[in-house]
Amino acid sequence: MIEVTDVIYDYPAMRALHGIGFTVDAGAVLALVGPNGAGKTTLMRCMAALDSHTEGHIRIAGLDTQDDPRAVHAAIGYLPDFYGLYEELSVRRALTYAARSRGVSEADAPAAVQLAAERVQLADRLDARAGELSRGLRQRLAIGQTIVHRPRVLLLDEPAAGLDPEARRSLSDLILKLTSEGMTIVVSSHILAELEDYSTRMLMIRDGRVAGGGVVAAGAGARDGERVAVTFADPPPDLAERLTALGVAVETIDGDDAVIAAPAGEDDSALLGRLMAAGLRVRSFQPARRTLEDAYLAEVKR
Amino acid sequence: MNPEFQRNLWLEASPRRIAWAGVSLALVYGIALLAAPDYPSGRTEALGWTGGAVFVLCAWIWAARAAGSSVLGEIADRTWDFQRLSALDPWAMTWGKLLGASSLAWMCGLTGLALATVAGAGRDPRMAFWGVLSMLAAAVLLQAVSMGAALIGVRKARAEGRAARPSGVIGGLVIGGFLLVSAAGSAGFQRGAGIAGLSTLLHTGGEVEWWGVVAPGQPFRALALTAFAGWALAGAWRLMRLELQMRNAPLTWPAFLVFLALFIGGFAYPAGGMMAALLAGALAVALCAYAAGFAEPADRVRLRQFAGAAAARDFSRAAPLAPSALAPVVLAAVLVIAALVSPRHAGAEISLQDVWQALALIAFVVRDLGVIALFRFGPRPQRGDFGAVVALALFYAAGAILGHSVGGDTGGAVFAPLPGAPLVSLVSGVVQAAIAWWLAAKRIRAPEVSAAA
Repeated sequence: MIEVTDVIYDYPAMRALHGIGFTVDAGAVLALVGPNGAGKTTLMRCMAALDSHTEGHIRIAGLDTQDDPRAVHAAIGYLPDFYGLYEELSVRRALTYAARSRGVSEADAPAAVQLAAERVQLADRLDARAGELSRGLRQRLAIGQTIVHRPRVLLLDEPAAGLDPEARRSLSDLILKLTSEGMTIVVSSHILAELEDYSTRMLMIRDGRVAGGGVVAAGAGARDGERVAVTFADPPPDLAERLTALGVAVETIDGDDAVIAAPAGEDDSALLGRLMAAGLRVRSFQPARRTLEDAYLAEVKR
Repeated sequence: MNPEFQRNLWLEASPRRIAWAGVSLALVYGIALLAAPDYPSGRTEALGWTGGAVFVLCAWIWAARAAGSSVLGEIADRTWDFQRLSALDPWAMTWGKLLGASSLAWMCGLTGLALATVAGAGRDPRMAFWGVLSMLAAAVLLQAVSMGAALIGVRKARAEGRAARPSGVIGGLVIGGFLLVSAAGSAGFQRGAGIAGLSTLLHTGGEVEWWGVVAPGQPFRALALTAFAGWALAGAWRLMRLELQMRNAPLTWPAFLVFLALFIGGFAYPAGGMMAALLAGALAVALCAYAAGFAEPADRVRLRQFAGAAAARDFSRAAPLAPSALAPVVLAAVLVIAALVSPRHAGAEISLQDVWQALALIAFVVRDLGVIALFRFGPRPQRGDFGAVVALALFYAAGAILGHSVGGDTGGAVFAPLPGAPLVSLVSGVVQAAIAWWLAAKRIRAPEVSAAA
């Protein structure tokens, strides 16, 4: 869905992106992470066809951002890190303008507005003035304007900045809902915890370059290899030996808790069955997840 | 309905604002009636004059300001990127902003124009028609120029890594307009260019002789204003296309330059024939090269891309990236050469001195564009415009004083393309142009600092 190839971007006096390249599959949620000043916003703006990169190619939904920028604009939704709203317009009119200016027909606009308002939980405030909304509600309206035309790709630059925990949770829920509908989403942030709940892939940018090994699985639902965290009830003293005898690699044992690696090709239920058949009393069995922080630190070490 | 027009209507022409405007206008016209002289047509005349003033204030000044703000306000409110991502085509965006942002101003202004028209029609219906057309065309022209200036300001500011501010755009517009009017509007320039007839365009009652055709001044002025308003709209639309990340084929700008050369040349033709017409056109086009040199964003990346595409003979890619000063320089050179070989009166044979003088003029234009580029691509591009103006003023004013004091006419010709020693001017102009562009090219090719934004 997104293909970025050898992208270079030059500001008048400096190079901001040095040959960035990666791909994002349809339906993925890519966390674009990196320290402040890494080039995330510049990359996002190039992907949104708002700025023209100096060299390289970016294709969004099969469209080249330099050959057909207007088609890219129609295919995406982009929320910049610093955005504005039409303060004097009501929520309804703001969403109506967003829908109509993004190609939704006059006949379809009311339904699109209602749907977007419901998705961002502003359906009960359609007649409120944008300027009267709280910060969290303004963020919701901005996202509502961004998704009202049902874009195939959504680019969100630091969307959770300044939001309270409740608003962040709403944002996470919305992103998960949009992903389940097939939308491909790129979210940038320098705060990993913000991205943990919904990201399925991670790309680290540092000094305008791809750091680490490119796009890696991480965050929500990303399993960390074959590792499993197991908690035993009254584990025997020779637990390590018994696990090894079962062909299981033991990574750590700490009291009742152990982290083990399943033999290649064996699924979780089979492994659990063998543990129990061996007389080990398993209290919990949890495939290890790879957090964004794990992935980030691993990429930093590469 | 055009969504951009509708949004602007929601914001600008709300029922409350219309009601307040109505009350204000009723007060103004009421006062005019009360103060009207006490004779039969006195009230009509008073309302006509007041209506004219209301139209000027609303449709010329208020609406022009609103048209510029329709872009700069989006920058200030951080909604411009949202608009750039819209699916609206550039023309819909342009007219939606122009007409929508100034909708209330137009409503108020048109009440005044209606009163002025009624008053004028009582005196001379035909002249009233041309007067109305002039008033409307001037309003459209001012609004389109204002929006165009705002779009130029936005593009320049982005290239210079800053946010566009209304004060900067208005300042640029005022200073640019002042310099242009000072140069093109001065009697000396008009005499030198053989276009003294241009000033008759400004007088209401006079006749205009243009390409040998004598026409009444007011209709000519109305049609000329309408034509320029059309070009200004086209310019705003082309600039909007660039803001929406579209590429412009190099057609509209050269077409306007040809139109301008024809328009200005027509005033020189009656007195000086084809040669004078071509030279006058060349001077007008050369002024546009200066305007383009200042108006275009100092975007060294785009210039490098242009140079790379041109070097690779990929002209379809190079053409949309070409600096906008290139077309007027080329056209001015073509017109000067055409003037040299154009038919002339018997006995007025072309001399080698004429050729040197013409080439010296072109060399100095190229030199000046190099100086402008040198300053605008400097380490502080925000101060580039001012620096370039000061540098050019120093080159011409201080250089002339220094040159004349040291070497008389020949010395003066080193610093300006003077007819006293045209070969000296030509050699000096070529050397200075080469130095200016060598220095500018070094800045344009300046290596990037390896750091991210």
